[in-house]
Amino acid sequence: MEYKLRKAEPKDVPDILRLVKELAKYEEMEHQVILTEKDLLEDGFGETPFYHCVIAELQGDGASSEDPRVVGFAMYYFTYDPWVGKQLYLEEFYVMDQCRGLGIGSEILRHLSNLAMKTRCTGMMFVVAENNEPSVQFYKRRGAEDLSQEEGWRLFRFDMKSLVKMATPAEE
Amino acid sequence: MDFSIRPANVEDCKDIARMIMELAEYEKMAEHVKVTQRDLEQDGFSKNPFFHGIIAEVPEQHRTKEGHTKIGYALYCYFYSSWVGRAVYMEDLYVMPEFRGKGIGKALMRKVAQLGLAAGCNQMNFTVLEWNKPSLDFYFSQGCFDITATVGYHCMRCEGEALERLAQP
Repeated sequence: MEYKLRKAEPKDVPDILRLVKELAKYEEMEHQVILTEKDLLEDGFGETPFYHCVIAELQGDGASSEDPRVVGFAMYYFTYDPWVGKQLYLEEFYVMDQCRGLGIGSEILRHLSNLAMKTRCTGMMFVVAENNEPSVQFYKRRGAEDLSQEEGWRLFRFDMKSLVKMATPAEE
Repeated sequence: MDFSIRPANVEDCKDIARMIMELAEYEKMAEHVKVTQRDLEQDGFSKNPFFHGIIAEVPEQHRTKEGHTKIGYALYCYFYSSWVGRAVYMEDLYVMPEFRGKGIGKALMRKVAQLGLAAGCNQMNFTVLEWNKPSLDFYFSQGCFDITATVGYHCMRCEGEALERLAQP
């Protein structure tokens, strides 16, 4: 199966959402995805993109006309660590089940690491669920450090309800 | 105590660099700090900033014995959740020890939340060290969740040689 990596375009938005939902299903969190194609289009391809995306697309006549051609993706953006500077943050990274074992995942990671270095990022960051053993091993084999385990960092979140509450000063 | 909260500008980078170091010392990780005042100026205040800052300032009469009136800060950036979309990440939140307990930390965090909501964000994330009880207590009292404890999410990083190796063909 031949494939090629390329930058996502607006026309890829339906496939990006499909893959986001597939990955969420794998993590048993499908009901948590409230993002729509409209959001992805506005937020990724407007004047100030909030994210960037790289797509893995099957080439040639190998795939039947019914099978999807977009079989993998990575969603990323740039963040800032006040101690070591620019970071490339890997938000989402997924290859469809039937296309695993072809090196697509490794190639996506290589592409992003290269991009991180070219844009003078000092690191590539991401989050993994501790019970996702295959992924944890995949990343550790490639030299990733678990900052939560090694340094004791815990990820905290304000969801929409608590964010609004916190943003509103209490009545004096 | 009277204090003001305002967006950071490039002239604040000297104080931001100072306070980043103070926070890192509190977190017992000062040797990890490589970013300089110059990096902050370039990375935060050029055409495409990688972060934004908020400063807490007190009037002259409350300045520290070293003469500082800029006594707290928050750094944040926008990110994207593949589940809920636009989100804000609070990188650092710090108030100098002698100015704590006066609502300044809360005011800084509230400002980040307000700016995030104004930009259409649905979520705010940040990290806390597991032993930092005063901060853990403060954050829990504000209504947030510990995603590492509840969902088992671990923060991972590939850097230095590991990043270079990954980038090899």
